[in-house]
Amino acid sequence: MNFSKILLFVLFLSGWSLQSLKAQSTQKISGFFAGVSFDRFAEKVEEESDYRFFYDQELLAETTVNLQAEESGLEDLLETIFSGTDFKFSISSDHRVFITQGKKMTVNFARGYFEPRSTADKGSDDSGNSSLGAFARNMRFEIGKDNQDPNKNTAILSGTVTNIDNGSPMLGTVIFEKEGFLQAITNEEGNYQLELPKGRHTLFIQNPGGYQEQRQIELFGDGEFDLEVQESFLSLDEIVVNSGALSNVSKLDMGVQSMSMSQVKRLPAILGEVDVIRGVMTMPGVNTVGEASVGFNVRGGAADQNLILYNQSTVFNPAHVFGFFSAFNPDMVSGVELYKGSIPVNYGGRLSSVLQVEPKFGRSDKIGGSGGIGIMTGRLSLEGPIGEKTTFIVGGRTTYSNWALDLLDDEAALNGSNASFYDFNANIRHEFNEKNQLEITSYLSRDEFGFDRDTTYSYENTNLAATWRHFFNDQLEGSLTVGYDGYEFGIVGEDNPLNAYQFNFDVNQLHARADFEYRKGENHVYKFGLHAIQYQLNPGTNLPFGEESIVIPEDISDENAREIALYFGDELTISERMLVSYGGRYMFYQIYGPMIVNDYVPGEAITESNVIGEQTYGAGETVQTYHGPEFRLSGRYTLTNQSSIKMGFTTMRQNLHLLSNTSAIAPTDSWKLSDRYIKPQTGGQASLGYYRNMASNTLEFSGELYYRYMNNLLDYRSGANIILNDNIEQDVLNSLGKAYGIELLLKKTSGNLTGSLAYTYSRSLLQTSNEPSVEKINEGRFYSSNFDQPHHVVLVGNLELSKRINTSINGNYSTGRPVTLPIAKFEYAGSERVYFSDRNAYRIPDYFRIDVSVNLEGNHKVRKLAHSSWSVGVYNVLGRSNPYSVYYTPVDGQLRGYQLSIFARPIPFITYNFKF
Amino acid sequence: MKRILFLYGLIFLAFGACREPFEPEIDSVDLNVLVVEGYLDSDGSPSLISLSYTRPIQDDSPQLVPVGGATVYLENSASDRFPLEDLGGGSYQFEQDINEQDSYRLRIILSNGTSYTSDELTPIITPDIVDVGFERNEDGVEIFLTTKGDENADDFLWMYEETWAFRPPFPSQVKYDTASKQVILREPDERIDVCYKSERNSDLLLETSSRFEDQFVFRQAINQIDEGDERLSLRYSVLISQMALSKEDAEFWEILKKNTDDLGSIFSPLPSNIRGNIRQDQNPDAPVIGQVSLGKIRQKRLFIDLREVVPWRAEVPEYFGCIQEPDTVLVKDYDDYFRTGRNMPTLPIFVGNGFEPIGYRYATASCVDCTRRGTNVKPEFWEDL
Repeated sequence: MNFSKILLFVLFLSGWSLQSLKAQSTQKISGFFAGVSFDRFAEKVEEESDYRFFYDQELLAETTVNLQAEESGLEDLLETIFSGTDFKFSISSDHRVFITQGKKMTVNFARGYFEPRSTADKGSDDSGNSSLGAFARNMRFEIGKDNQDPNKNTAILSGTVTNIDNGSPMLGTVIFEKEGFLQAITNEEGNYQLELPKGRHTLFIQNPGGYQEQRQIELFGDGEFDLEVQESFLSLDEIVVNSGALSNVSKLDMGVQSMSMSQVKRLPAILGEVDVIRGVMTMPGVNTVGEASVGFNVRGGAADQNLILYNQSTVFNPAHVFGFFSAFNPDMVSGVELYKGSIPVNYGGRLSSVLQVEPKFGRSDKIGGSGGIGIMTGRLSLEGPIGEKTTFIVGGRTTYSNWALDLLDDEAALNGSNASFYDFNANIRHEFNEKNQLEITSYLSRDEFGFDRDTTYSYENTNLAATWRHFFNDQLEGSLTVGYDGYEFGIVGEDNPLNAYQFNFDVNQLHARADFEYRKGENHVYKFGLHAIQYQLNPGTNLPFGEESIVIPEDISDENAREIALYFGDELTISERMLVSYGGRYMFYQIYGPMIVNDYVPGEAITESNVIGEQTYGAGETVQTYHGPEFRLSGRYTLTNQSSIKMGFTTMRQNLHLLSNTSAIAPTDSWKLSDRYIKPQTGGQASLGYYRNMASNTLEFSGELYYRYMNNLLDYRSGANIILNDNIEQDVLNSLGKAYGIELLLKKTSGNLTGSLAYTYSRSLLQTSNEPSVEKINEGRFYSSNFDQPHHVVLVGNLELSKRINTSINGNYSTGRPVTLPIAKFEYAGSERVYFSDRNAYRIPDYFRIDVSVNLEGNHKVRKLAHSSWSVGVYNVLGRSNPYSVYYTPVDGQLRGYQLSIFARPIPFITYNFKF
Repeated sequence: MKRILFLYGLIFLAFGACREPFEPEIDSVDLNVLVVEGYLDSDGSPSLISLSYTRPIQDDSPQLVPVGGATVYLENSASDRFPLEDLGGGSYQFEQDINEQDSYRLRIILSNGTSYTSDELTPIITPDIVDVGFERNEDGVEIFLTTKGDENADDFLWMYEETWAFRPPFPSQVKYDTASKQVILREPDERIDVCYKSERNSDLLLETSSRFEDQFVFRQAINQIDEGDERLSLRYSVLISQMALSKEDAEFWEILKKNTDDLGSIFSPLPSNIRGNIRQDQNPDAPVIGQVSLGKIRQKRLFIDLREVVPWRAEVPEYFGCIQEPDTVLVKDYDDYFRTGRNMPTLPIFVGNGFEPIGYRYATASCVDCTRRGTNVKPEFWEDL
């Protein structure tokens, strides 16, 4: 009855009442009420009839009912109960009973007195705009009386949402006002209520599983606005209400980009493999060094500075087959969100960005599934309920065969070669009750490839996490997650039985985290929690393979560390226009033994010749501790309903480093924990943005400006060896980084033609720090990082030709990435050799590519065994050979320069998808 | 790693990858960086230092830019000088037995006055090569070496020089004498039916012995001779030099190797700036390329005869299309056919029991004369079976 209390209160305040029917209902009440409370009486009546009571429970706490009713009218009964008190009652046309003290509430007004003007305009049809059909969205409905309560800026809009086909109320429909980010949800009777500023608004009506409707209203005062909407069975794909898209102007976070799977699926894909990471790369500020690398760079940061989370699990290698495909099965993902600017306080551990890949959970209505057959892979997933409270989804993807390599089998060199991968997900969600929920997500992927019979490469991701979510009350909710993340890479070489070897490295982490969100009043949202990670890392092991092998076992000692981070943040609404969020994390990191650490001459470069001794640490003995705070600060100020400015400042820390001497993430790149000499990477980012919606909110514009600084980055001295190096600190160079840029994004979010155009200007620079070191790259000046690509333009367009056909285009231009070029040549040791320019002094040619695709949906009959769709398209339709890299190599003793392109001609693709 | 790159290349081919010539616009600055190469033998065997300049990358001329006329000497810790002899063409020969316990610096003074000094060099005593051998396998013949490192010598560099004897497709013992207009027998020093050809290796062979048990480098592959190669068509010899390297030397050679072998594929490492252990005295920051080493060089020679590898069918691209003309050139036509030297007489044709040939079959000179591709002078070291 809480709701009724509030409603009554509101009704009093506004002196507002509801329209009623002329004729009172003739519903009769029967029953014996002996000394029952009024509450009990009301309940009984509500059970037996469709009357609904609205009153202040406290007011009527003393009132008892003593009567016997036999086919009595409610009016008569209430007369009897309230006779002799100053309680008055009124019954509205729709059988609502309002009980008030003193003054009787007016519920039956003259016809049209308070009716929305819109209804007056179209005669007797009192609110439903069904007869207007498709025109309803273009019409402007005037609601309320403009002379009513002129001192109030806001008015209350209420109404009922019903199904256009059968008139039944629509539960859970969201009425959304875009500019102020105000929304209401209909209750079981389809009723909603929404307080809005007076004036013109566009309302978006979204019912679950249906289309989004739109209504234009002009609000003069309080009023009722009933809606009839269509329940849609057309959509075969999920429709994701994308908070990111709807709140360009009003949301607090900046530098956040999100994408639903349906958006990702429309993008033209390489070989038809829907790829979430390639979707992410259409966002401004996200670059890649080349097509065969899933490693991506966010705002001038290295690829290892991105935290890639599948739900709560860290995925260390998000790529299959060296980066041609992303490691995520599109059927097991519901959407992705990339945080590149102000990173929420509940994330940490990486310097540049957080890519949150949202897992999919099973449907609860029936067992179903989906799958697809593409050129390279096939995938299948199955989902559904197990019992009433549990749902599951399992999905897998695998390559069929090595057909692509088989095509080349004539080449003797490829005999015995193969490349294959698979990945597997299983997610379970169980609802114990309304307040407790358990989610288990798991992920396993494996790649295996060999180029001849002798050498086999493989890598594997393993993730498992369980999250228990508990809703303490309306204000407080919490979740507890425990999980394991692992990544393993291996090479087996059997070229010569005597030298046969088995090399591998792995990284493992156990993590536990507790996250809480507490909403205090209307103005605060507190977030706080604790994250703990236990790292166990094997930097590299080389073992003899087979009995004959005489390879000496080499084992770089394992690294063990713990990381604990505590965080607290608050989202504070200062005024309607101003919203700020502040918070911080404190990260504590410890690497501990067993470990042997070299001592070097203090103040000298870390080289082999400066080793003066070593220290041995026993198991569990602390070797090095690092700790420090991270700050998060962001704010939004609304300029007008259509525009806002936002700013943010974020600092980050990172303890896990990827050792990579190449510009792309190669699977042979291994991971390293911070130790005595390799310090945690730290960095900060300040950003400023302007956001504006135009053309009735169908066009969104944003411009963001950022500056980043980074410390303790790793670059490598000439000839550095990163594999099986026990003293890696001797081969790395402590470096500083800075990055800055501007990102402009124009997005059209509705209509048949949707899409976005993003332009990024950014720089990313490195400098060998002035700590003592053996080598200062480019004499200690700032130089371009490997992914310093100043200009980057991405165009994404999607045209819906009909409900069943839509076409997409994706255009991509960027400045060529920097390279170190040979500038002179010389003879040495019997061959011509090259002399290289300063590090990254030149660039490869610019990159430009256009892809197109068409998605064809099958027919939309509801009762069909399976729904199917086709995707056909062409990747790199212009056939431009975009160089991935350039290199010089001696051919017959003569030095020749070459550029290597990966997809140098148009690559057509076709994929068949189905869903049942 | 190499295989990854290679296969990737092929996968890309399947997907439409391509490799095109790349000619970037680079400021045509002649960098004129001095390049110093050499491993000086401390035992007194002749060894060379060669000096040259770098050339712009666009320079198409194949020859070196040698630096002649420089004064080059080795200086020990007591400032005693051990000069190198200028052989011309940028080569300077060292032939002195020096104290291997001392330390040295190499000094180079160019004719323009610029001078260079190396870091301190300590002679490294390279251990002997334990064994060299070869193995016939399905791809051809692999030549291998076994050696053992010790506490002074861990990193090794191998270089080798191959020499092989070969025959042209149509061997001939005779020549046409323009003066007498007769076909006469060749003198032994005029032979054109067996020649010798030599080549230095151009790949870099490096290995670290401590990677193996007891520093025992077993059957390190040195060279692979592919099936059908001319080198094994008669008799083959290879002289393998083993040089132990210091840690810094090994790093230099690793960089050189990385800069040459690993570049330009999908996951290639970043090119490294190559320098060495030579500094310019006038400007220590000026780039100089080259790592000069000092130590004992160990050598071993291996011979492989055709009989050890049969069957071996040599296919020599240079001799593709060689045919012996079916016509016999009669004595009276000798001058017409053989005067210019384009054709050479091969097989004598006799009639009946005639003592003098009535004429000769013939073939193009390039199919008969082996000196067009090698030398007919048997090398001093050559041992016939």
